[in-house]
Amino acid sequence: MTLLNTQKGKWYQVRNIEEKENVQRRLEALGILTGTRVLVLNQKKSGSTIIRVRGTRWAIGRDIAEGIVVEDYDEK
Amino acid sequence: MKNEHIIQVAFVGNPNCGKTTLFNALTGANLKVANWPGVTVEKKEGYTSYKGQKINLVDLPGIYSLTSYSIEEKVSRRCVMEDNIDVIVNVVDASSLERNLYLTMQLLELGKPVILAMNMMDVVKERGMEIDNHRLPEMLGHIPVVPVSARKRMGLNVLLHAVKHHYEEDVEEKVVVYSDSLEQKISSVEQRLHEKYPDLRYLRWTAVKLLEADEETLEEYSLDAPDILDRSYEKEIINQKYDYIEEVVEEVLFYKDSSKEGKTDKVDTLLTHPFWGVPVFLGIMAFVFFLTFTIGDALKGVFEVGLDMLLNGAGAFLAGLNASDWVISLVVDGVIAGVGGILTFLPNIFILFLALGILEDSGYMARVAYVMDGIMGRVGLSGKAFLPMVLGFGCTVPAVMATRTLEKEADRRRTMILTPFMSCSARLPIYVLFSSMFFPQHAAIAAFSLYVLGLLVAIVLAMILGKIKRGESAGSLLMELPEYKMPNARTIAIYVWEKVKDYLSKAGTTIFVASIVIWFILNFGIHGMVTDVQQSFGAVLGHWLEPVLAPAGLGLWQVAVALIAGLSAKEVVVSSMAVLFGISNINSAAGMTGMSTALGQFGFGAVNAYALMVFCLLYTPCMATIATIKKESNSWAFTLKLVVFQLLLAYVAAVVVFQVGSLIV
Repeated sequence: MTLLNTQKGKWYQVRNIEEKENVQRRLEALGILTGTRVLVLNQKKSGSTIIRVRGTRWAIGRDIAEGIVVEDYDEK
Repeated sequence: MKNEHIIQVAFVGNPNCGKTTLFNALTGANLKVANWPGVTVEKKEGYTSYKGQKINLVDLPGIYSLTSYSIEEKVSRRCVMEDNIDVIVNVVDASSLERNLYLTMQLLELGKPVILAMNMMDVVKERGMEIDNHRLPEMLGHIPVVPVSARKRMGLNVLLHAVKHHYEEDVEEKVVVYSDSLEQKISSVEQRLHEKYPDLRYLRWTAVKLLEADEETLEEYSLDAPDILDRSYEKEIINQKYDYIEEVVEEVLFYKDSSKEGKTDKVDTLLTHPFWGVPVFLGIMAFVFFLTFTIGDALKGVFEVGLDMLLNGAGAFLAGLNASDWVISLVVDGVIAGVGGILTFLPNIFILFLALGILEDSGYMARVAYVMDGIMGRVGLSGKAFLPMVLGFGCTVPAVMATRTLEKEADRRRTMILTPFMSCSARLPIYVLFSSMFFPQHAAIAAFSLYVLGLLVAIVLAMILGKIKRGESAGSLLMELPEYKMPNARTIAIYVWEKVKDYLSKAGTTIFVASIVIWFILNFGIHGMVTDVQQSFGAVLGHWLEPVLAPAGLGLWQVAVALIAGLSAKEVVVSSMAVLFGISNINSAAGMTGMSTALGQFGFGAVNAYALMVFCLLYTPCMATIATIKKESNSWAFTLKLVVFQLLLAYVAAVVVFQVGSLIV
């Protein structure tokens, strides 16, 4: 699944990032890469999502959220 | 003598880490703002001294990493690598240490003296966290770690002390130790680099960058080593850096009381609510507007009394000096009536910018980008493009400059087209005056409706532009939402003071000159000074435009002249009306009655007034905006097309309002 089909308030782990080269590199520099844990804080119908990564909140647009492939992450 | 060397310090840090506040606290007024050569990135330089040691400081743009994907990153990278930079002060937001340390790790790899300035320690405490200030430097190659508070001006001397004493020491460049296989590669690349470029100072840094396949480094330090540089190891390198950071954070950061965490998240559940986010935003803007109108009006009385005294005093004083009539007329009817009239709006302007400053400093502005992302997405723009538009309520000039934050040139231009339709503070005096005169019962609503209208025009226009440019996908939203914090009085005071200063200096320059020019064209004709205003240059010019403006209900030569004069600055519409109708204190009750009576004689009523306000909302904001759009778009063709479009749109809209309005009323 991608970040678009996630639930608010749950942790996920990034499995893969399928973005255009430049977006992917920007995400990586921000610490969003394969294996990173992500908490979904908020999501709108339009797909705009707020996530928490490494202690910081990020607002991301629909098309970026769409390219972040995640899987459930067990908090333990 | 060692002391004669001036230490050069570069300030580097993430956006929102309080770097600029710290920089301002250190340099005070001793600063110089310019652009970096060749790019539209601001370069701020300042100086200070500590115990006789002169220190120069450069404030670099806020960046998340030292890659070379954005202009800001390239500029910062080139600067810190320059030989004359002695020390790097890395400002970090201690409350989000994990992300901030990534840049730190990259800086450390340079092997240059780095000092870590830990800002926002108060937030850390508030959130019930604690940072081990002894363990942290140990894990960062024993660099000095100085807790500072930019807002409370604490720790500044300790920081300067560290700069003075640390600048000559080199640091361990090997803070992050990568996996064995990577380290092996790094040392063989280092070896070959050393053979080929014996003077290269940043061996480890360059080796790592080559392994990351960094474009700029590949060009500058090409190395023929296909056996080692067989592919990009960027992912591994980033991952291992973050692994180490996680280790650091785990060891130095303690949660004493985790219950305090998440205050921001609680506030965000309302402010960024999927449904309520937009109404809340509109409510906040309406409240800001309400304050601007009511409190501003209450304060205005004081200014009016002062202006009245000045007008009478100046007239009497000049008459006492036996000044000739034209001098008295120039000073009293021209300069004081024009400039003074504008100054009475200062309370409104002050409140508006105070509110915008608080919204920005508290961290809410970034949320607006998220809240509006869906709506903006429908017109093909990212939520980020909405921020310049909000700033446009203050002043169009900085708003147009703020479009720089959009990566795509096409998005930038479209946002530049939309921004002028946000009613800037210079348009406020026009709304205040005409709403109060012609809609006395509903003045606030009448004025607010223009703000909404501007917004609607922008949205419709954005949709049309989005249709034209279909297929071209907009740059997507990717934006940090900072922690909410209590707005800082000092930061906001500086912000508001700068805007008020701009307004005052505009009153002193542009509006001053415009008032004199208007006075001149009204009091002089081809035969010299005239007693009958109908003979003046202004009347001739205005009469010529009357038939054109008549369908919009603006067929009064005085209005025509005021609108033309308004191109210098929108407030001038008001000041020239004052001069044109010879009303000395236009913003007072007596002044307004005088004006509406004068206008009423020409059959200029409420519908005409509304058409006038619509015209003022939509037509070209001012010369300064035109100049800024030209500078930012770097295209005269684009700028001129935009101006023509604005004039046409304003005209058509005013005609529609007047014609339809006349049928109803």
